[in-house]
Amino acid sequence: MGSRWTGIFWSFVFLAVPVLGVATFAVAPAFDIWLPKDVSSDGATIDSLFMFILILTGVVFVITEGLLFWFLWKYDAAKATGPATYVHGNHTLEVVWAVIPAGVLLFLAIYQMNTWANVKMRRPAMSPTLEVVGRQFEWRLRYPGRDGTLGTPDDLFLVNDLHVPVDEDILIQLKSMDVLHSFFLPNLRVKQDAVPGMKIPVWFKATQTGQFDIVCAELCGWGHYKMAGQITIESRKDFNAWLESMYAKQEATQPEPAAVALAE
Amino acid sequence: MATATSSSTLVTGAALTASPNRQAPKPRPVMEFLSTYVFSKDHKVIGLQFLFSTLLWFLIGGLLALAVRWQIAWPWSDVPVLGKLFAQQGGQMAPEFYTMLFTMHATVMIFLVIIPILAGAFGNFLIPLMIGADDMAFPTLNMLSYWFMWPAFFFFGASFFVEGGAASSGWTSYPPLSTNVAAAPGSGLGQTLWLLGLTMVGVSSMLGSVNYMTTIILMRAPGMTMFRLPMTIWAMFITAVLQAFALPVLTAAGFMQLADRTIGTGFFSPEGNMVNNAMASTGGGQPLLWQHLFWFYSHPAVYIMILPAMGMVSDIMTCFARKPLFGYRPMVYSIAGIAGLGFIVWGHHMFISGMNPALGMTFMVSTMMIALPSAVKTFNWLGTVWGGRIQFTTAMLFALSFVSMFIIGGLSGIFMAATPVDIFIHDTYFIVAHFHYVLFAGTAMGVWAAIYFWFPKMFGRTMNEFWGKAHFFLTFIFLNGTFFTMHILGAVGFPRRLADAYHYETFHHLQPLNAFMTWCAIGMVASQIIFAINFFWSMFFGPIAGRNPWRANGLEWTAPSPPGHGNFDFQPVVYRGPYEYSVPGADKDYLMQTDPPNAAAAALAAAAH
Amino acid sequence: MNAMNASAISLSQHPDHHGHDSHDSHPHDTHGHGPVLQYQPGLPLTRGKLIMWLFLSTEIMFFAALLGAYVVLRFGASVWPKPHHVHLSEPIGAFNTFVLICSSVTIVLALEMARANKTTAAKLWMVATLLLGSLFLGVKGYEYAAKFEHGIYPWSPRSRVFEKPDLYYGSAVRARLGEPAMIDLLKELDDTPESQLTPEVVLARRRLAKVRQMVASPDQQPFDLAVVADQIMPLPVEHATAISHDGTDTPVGGHGGGHTSGLNDTFPWLKLPAVIPGGTMWASTYFLLTGFHAVHVMVGLIVFTILLLYKLGPKRAGMIENAGLYWHFVDLVWIFLFPLLYLF
Ligand code: HEA
Ligand code: HEA
Ligand code: CUA
Ligand SMILES: [Cu+2]
Repeated sequence: MGSRWTGIFWSFVFLAVPVLGVATFAVAPAFDIWLPKDVSSDGATIDSLFMFILILTGVVFVITEGLLFWFLWKYDAAKATGPATYVHGNHTLEVVWAVIPAGVLLFLAIYQMNTWANVKMRRPAMSPTLEVVGRQFEWRLRYPGRDGTLGTPDDLFLVNDLHVPVDEDILIQLKSMDVLHSFFLPNLRVKQDAVPGMKIPVWFKATQTGQFDIVCAELCGWGHYKMAGQITIESRKDFNAWLESMYAKQEATQPEPAAVALAE
Repeated sequence: MATATSSSTLVTGAALTASPNRQAPKPRPVMEFLSTYVFSKDHKVIGLQFLFSTLLWFLIGGLLALAVRWQIAWPWSDVPVLGKLFAQQGGQMAPEFYTMLFTMHATVMIFLVIIPILAGAFGNFLIPLMIGADDMAFPTLNMLSYWFMWPAFFFFGASFFVEGGAASSGWTSYPPLSTNVAAAPGSGLGQTLWLLGLTMVGVSSMLGSVNYMTTIILMRAPGMTMFRLPMTIWAMFITAVLQAFALPVLTAAGFMQLADRTIGTGFFSPEGNMVNNAMASTGGGQPLLWQHLFWFYSHPAVYIMILPAMGMVSDIMTCFARKPLFGYRPMVYSIAGIAGLGFIVWGHHMFISGMNPALGMTFMVSTMMIALPSAVKTFNWLGTVWGGRIQFTTAMLFALSFVSMFIIGGLSGIFMAATPVDIFIHDTYFIVAHFHYVLFAGTAMGVWAAIYFWFPKMFGRTMNEFWGKAHFFLTFIFLNGTFFTMHILGAVGFPRRLADAYHYETFHHLQPLNAFMTWCAIGMVASQIIFAINFFWSMFFGPIAGRNPWRANGLEWTAPSPPGHGNFDFQPVVYRGPYEYSVPGADKDYLMQTDPPNAAAAALAAAAH
Repeated sequence: MNAMNASAISLSQHPDHHGHDSHDSHPHDTHGHGPVLQYQPGLPLTRGKLIMWLFLSTEIMFFAALLGAYVVLRFGASVWPKPHHVHLSEPIGAFNTFVLICSSVTIVLALEMARANKTTAAKLWMVATLLLGSLFLGVKGYEYAAKFEHGIYPWSPRSRVFEKPDLYYGSAVRARLGEPAMIDLLKELDDTPESQLTPEVVLARRRLAKVRQMVASPDQQPFDLAVVADQIMPLPVEHATAISHDGTDTPVGGHGGGHTSGLNDTFPWLKLPAVIPGGTMWASTYFLLTGFHAVHVMVGLIVFTILLLYKLGPKRAGMIENAGLYWHFVDLVWIFLFPLLYLF
């Protein structure tokens, strides 16, 4: 106790925090433990904002944790001689370290507003591509059918199997039948809670074809974990073909009664 | 350790030499034990009652967390040991049981551990001692505030055993899942008991908070002006204000939810809501209304869960840096700032809830601004260690780690405050990482610092330093192993509250990482055995501490350890602020608040103000 | 040592001063050890009064939350009933407001008398307050009973309020008419000779017969049910989304504008389901707000009863004052509730 090694040891324990912290973020992408592949038009801005904040906070993190280490190292009672500095504060410093973060944060707040407005406020002027309805524990989908309008008798009903054409604006009308759900498309950086009693518009534009997960991201009961769906992004041609085949399939069978109820 | 042993022989200005050993714990007959320790109105006893109860619940909450972690790491595999304790069929967890586990884990940790240990245990024990009062303003109310915890303990505890099991709609209890009885298995009696328990915790906190405010306003020792109060007291005071203004809102909302569940009103159920193919009988309400009311309380509540720890850490850090607190007034104002801003940021939990996105924007700006007072605090703590003479005691290590960890938790808050980024990371493990950093790595570490620091005052004996440091070291390593990795899980979008996420292509490869985290969590809980043994052993066999083992300045250190009824055996009179360490010209490196001014010190004090 | 001396000096000037004026906080047997402590002057308030103010501020937040919820629910609802649709009576509400205001005056008088050591007068004013408070509750109870009489409950098993005259509504009316006891009563009504009835009842009986026929008819149309609803409990015309008859000539008699009383009023035992758009949510909020207010009134009455056990002299003035503060608060809440619920 009280030997000079004690202070050194503990200082290094605290130094480990920024070192390992930065290291974790540095190596994670190499292990593919990182932002999933982005296939949307707005995802890139969201990702770059994430990276921007990561770097900003990373710098703050390294500086503050580094200072902590340095002070612990330097002002260890077992090492430093003489009494502690008798100061009660410093007015200038207080102002500086209040104003700089304030500026940074205000900048950040204003900087990101445009992205937010793009993904949540500037709704494209078009009629909904389809309606998605959350229900314990599945995603019910309703395409407008041949006439192009939702809510007509020729609507196409599907479950969990979402298809959208690539490179086109998609506008989804999101609803819920029972409890809260959250419509989460990790690869499109889309997430929106589905609230019973509300119709919430969700829009995105996919930029690549492929199959991706639809995740439910809001606790909706015991089966929340398995409320999975799949989104298939395909060319307009494939999409039309798929839609036709699904439509033919539905014509062949009678629409489910539950689906009718959904049509109100 | 040097400081602890040498100091018991020091004669402070205020300590009376009359009965130096009066404080050593003595055995007492059973009846007297009951009246003194069980139905006591003494704030110290009540504080300790809170401490013991909450530590016990901490253990339960920790075990629940382990069961949660087990399922995440190895879904659907038999849970060893704990499986027998918790699960119904054999050792394997049912999916609905998982939802109950994390709901009750959070409920226990927040409502039965963190809030009551800060305000109930430390608030009670420290407030009268640190301001020089003989007790709380209303001792009977104070006793009631503890006894109202028992119905809460009972309701939460019993909910595990009722039909359908405990509450299972998350600690946030979002309707309609929580209000519609058909929506979830645990939505039977369990959720109702949960609401009742919540109300009881509310009553307890309410009784406590008005009492604390009254005590702090009216019962300070002569000379103890508001700006000579230690940070702990400031923090407790502002926390009490927060409680008093935010909690009634939750109570009201809780009653509304209770009515929705029991008598079938429809405050939170929309028209035509169908669950399990059954039409809800009433409707016309709004699910989002609950979220607004809940977060109007619960966001201020997260500061209720950290401000007292910030206060205590400030006191502990100055003591072991042997240096005045850097920027006392800015520290006070920033606490007040956090509290004030805390009331206008609740919407940041609802960015993607379907709330008007324009509102989201204003909440984003206010949320960014709340980082400001936190920044002021962080830099002032760094300023406090700068130029100090740091003594690496266990309490100091925990206090330093509070600062170090709070920075991590706070900075991750910035990601979420950024609305577009929150779209992706909302309801992922990034959030789980954030709040465990502020709540566990922050507050809980602060609480441990406080336990090691004030233990001598509580029991008259010091805790073992070596084992204390071992406890610190292991907890520190394991906690970062568990929680830091959650950030990168969150970056993949790994969703929270999922019993098994590996069936998703996107998250399939994350199982090994989760297994690693679970091992760390097991290690973390196991490390607490050291703490438990040290705690109880030191209570009875630790070295006698004396009045002021840390050579600290506060009023509490002038009272006997442990203090008798009425706390002080002399009239404390305060001459200065609580942080006069290493005053040049003084004959020792600390000047207690009660030390009468001598010419040199007076001159300096005058110069400083 | 020095600290002791210093404090002893400063203390010696008023050795008996407690630093606080309420003695309720310390049973003497529990603190025999230390000296009686002296405190820094804080606010010029007694502990009792301060904690009362603080408690009241928590209460303000409680009611603020309830009122906020009310506002959100009300303005978020697509329809909201007018006070008359739900049988709220402004005069009764106004009378109750007056009663509460009077009680706020009487408690002030009780305090004045207690301060002046006129204990009997103080007691009398206290009794008056208690009576006025009870009167308020009595009137409230009467209003509640009237709501229940009309089947306006906040919850569904007992509520007879429907949002719209849809098929669910039709089957509810049918179910009610088909209850065994109801069949007997209806039969009794049918069998009563016309001569024993007033002309209005005879007319009403004819309307009821028509309603029964419409409800039972297999090919019933939605607008038939609207007519049924209107017959059972007509909504005053001021209703925003009035359930119109589309000008259809209905055999049961035109009463679209003027006000014949509904069948439920003419035959109180009928208790048929009624249509009040927004009625259920209205009832939920009404009972929530007035219910919690009534609970606060009850607490006040209990406090007054306890106070009456004491001699109400200057020694109790502090307690009376605190009780009064609380009572003024309860009064104030009502002054917010009354216009919000009865007038808008
Ligand atoms: C003690 C508890 C505590 C504390 C102190 C905080 C502090 C903060 N929290 Fe946290 N939060 C929680 C507990 C807490 N939180 C909990 C429990 C949840 C989840 C609830 C649930 O859903 O279950 C949550 C969720 C949560 C969300 C919702 C996320 C979502 O669900 O999508 C957000 C969003 O904005 C947020 C933000 C913040 C911010 C900005 C702070 C700020 O106060 C942090 C400020 C601190 C710093 C920033 C660090 C120090 C400053 C500097 C070193 C200066 C320089 C910094 C910069 C220039 C950037 N928190
Ligand atoms: C104060 C709050 C707090 C604390 C301390 C903790 C502590 C821990 N938490 Fe928890 N947690 C929450 C609050 C907290 N948590 C909340 C609010 C949620 C969200 C729930 C929701 O979604 O609704 C959550 C959710 C949550 C999840 C996510 C579940 C999910 O979304 O699916 C996970 C997963 O890893 C987790 C893990 C842990 C672990 C491993 C610990 C460990 O740190 C636990 C360690 C425990 C100990 C170290 C016990 C120590 C015991 C003693 C000290 C007693 C000694 C005894 C005596 C002296 C008598 N927690
Ligand atoms: Cu649907 Cu979770
Ligand atoms: Cu928050």
